Amino acid sequence: MEKKHKADFDYFLSVLDKADTGPYVEEKDWDRQYITNTIKGLIKKYDISWDKANTAVPYDDSLSDRLFEAGMELAVVSGVYCIDTHRRMVWTREELDKVLANAPTSVVVGTGKDAVTIQKRSPDEHKRVGVIGGPYGIPISEELFFPLTLSYAKERSLDFIENASLLTTYGRDIRAKSPWDSVACWQEVDLIFKAIKEAGRPGMGVGGPNSTASAIGVLTTVSHNGFRPSDWNHNSFMSELKVSYEDLIRSAHFYYTDSYCHNFYNPIFGGFAGGGEGIAIAMVTGMVLMKACLHGDSVNPGPSHAHLSCDTYPEIITSKALAMQALNRNTHLLTSSFARPAAGPGVIDIFYEVAAMHIAGVTSGVAFVKGVQSASGRFAGHCSALECRFMAKVAHAAEKLSRKEANPIVRKLMDKYRDVQKDMRIGKPFNEVYDLNTLEPTSEWMNLYAQACKEMKLLGLPLEGED
Amino acid sequence: MDIQWEEIKNDFLNSLLNDDKDTAIKIAEKTLEKGVTAQRFFESCVTPVLVEIGDRFMRLDIFLPEMIAAAEIVQSVNEKVIRPQIEKTDVGKMESQGKVLLATIEGDLHNIGKNMVNLMLRVNGFEVIDLGTDVPPSEIVEKAVQEDVDIIGLSSLLTSCLPFMKDVVELLKLKGLRDKYKLIIGGAAPTLEFAQKIGVDAQGHTAAEAVTICREIIRSKKLSS
Repeated sequence: MEKKHKADFDYFLSVLDKADTGPYVEEKDWDRQYITNTIKGLIKKYDISWDKANTAVPYDDSLSDRLFEAGMELAVVSGVYCIDTHRRMVWTREELDKVLANAPTSVVVGTGKDAVTIQKRSPDEHKRVGVIGGPYGIPISEELFFPLTLSYAKERSLDFIENASLLTTYGRDIRAKSPWDSVACWQEVDLIFKAIKEAGRPGMGVGGPNSTASAIGVLTTVSHNGFRPSDWNHNSFMSELKVSYEDLIRSAHFYYTDSYCHNFYNPIFGGFAGGGEGIAIAMVTGMVLMKACLHGDSVNPGPSHAHLSCDTYPEIITSKALAMQALNRNTHLLTSSFARPAAGPGVIDIFYEVAAMHIAGVTSGVAFVKGVQSASGRFAGHCSALECRFMAKVAHAAEKLSRKEANPIVRKLMDKYRDVQKDMRIGKPFNEVYDLNTLEPTSEWMNLYAQACKEMKLLGLPLEGED
Repeated sequence: MDIQWEEIKNDFLNSLLNDDKDTAIKIAEKTLEKGVTAQRFFESCVTPVLVEIGDRFMRLDIFLPEMIAAAEIVQSVNEKVIRPQIEKTDVGKMESQGKVLLATIEGDLHNIGKNMVNLMLRVNGFEVIDLGTDVPPSEIVEKAVQEDVDIIGLSSLLTSCLPFMKDVVELLKLKGLRDKYKLIIGGAAPTLEFAQKIGVDAQGHTAAEAVTICREIIRSKKLSS
């Protein structure tokens, strides 16, 4: 594994100090003053706005550069809120500039012949984009966990995979912060490694423990005989720009074990950060502050619609594309595009939503694409590897496009689902869209996939190969 | 008495949307000066305006901070104008739609969804006791008894916190209190199947659903009593 670009030890300790010694603030004041009011002011100050009727993928570099400065100002003015100590963790602009300057421009995930390098990309750059696919924490029964995982591991277009969550472990409930957290995550280890071995990809990177949200999973299984330092371990901020001691415990564990760490932050569209303009600023801030606070190797924003929970709502996609351009033009952070569509497997809209998100993301210069957290990730078993196959195909086709070329395609895609997205058509669970004997999609599901590929070509997306 | 309710409602709505507490209070005072009872003002102006605010948030025409600000202004109008008038004249009383205890269950620190439910219930006339996040089952039951609530609403984003919801049901049964409260659950984690399995009264995913469910529970309760 390539040596990580870890922060120096004094800096690592200073971050933990910030959580204990920063200015004391009530959480209510944090939400209203430091997030809502500050963001409203920055939108005006930096003139963050765009023509919403005609823009799906923005390509105004002066706007994305202003957005970057707005995001950096929010990072300095507000910082991060530690919910356990009720303190603001604050950084100076100089500290943040240094953190960004020291960030890696590439990282390796996985080991041996199955290892994959993720590289920094820029807007309109035609370089290859990385692809990570999986059921992204969607809960699934013990019985189906292995076949589901194997179906993803078999997808050769996925560079590495993310995991589902177990609903139970050995027939028992997985109670948060109990020993069952540990048992469930070790069961996840067993099933995941069995699947990638059977798929003939034993060195492929896999997601860190997903069967619990507590730090227990990471502390017990990112260790000897468990998840490897080269695997796809993750850590996150809560919305809005909040962190807990548990998150800082995870970051310490990844720091000391020199483990790969991916960071994500999901602002709420319609929440304290506001609408598209506000979450664009929050996304820039969040990615920079996660690097500064959690020392991750790569970052992702996955804004949630306040009511639908998806991140493919048209205005969110545009806002996210702009935030990614701001970061990819002004930093070398390894950014990513994530698809959490409202539609689920067996519904053609899932392809439209995934395509809109990733065409916007790839042309905006993300280093890799992630997904698919189908049906907003809220319904047990509602996910399949076919939407990830589609994601990979679309992402590589989008490498050939510029933002300007992508804009009309993404607008047309949004028009296909804009009015029906609120219906939350969650489709069918894995075992109804895949044949459990062959672990291949049913013909009905394949037909919708083929139809979607055909429609992508008609829209002008240069998809390669047969459908 | 010629009262232009449409105009008053429109002005009151604008004052809430503009975060203008002083104007909202003045509108209430002026309307009451015309001889309107506090109860009538609440029913004919405050209630429909709050419903409109809730609808706008569900369409995301406005965002969470605007809805919080509107709820806070209405609280001020209540405290400064409506309640003193009722106490002074003792004419009629505003009836709460029902009393709801909310909590994000033990182990889970996520509160945005639960907070949205809180606001939507409040703007729709419910009295809400919000215990916050990571709340142990014993505290939930204790507070439900203390506050004499009608409904207990539990939220969780994480499947690993669902066993604690089951604990609440079992604790209520153990204390012989299960039939005293209606129990509803929501958030990303609990499914309808889970709700049926542990024996709660309802399950939903959105703040709007929570309002519909609570209204229906209170309506049934009133009918049966």
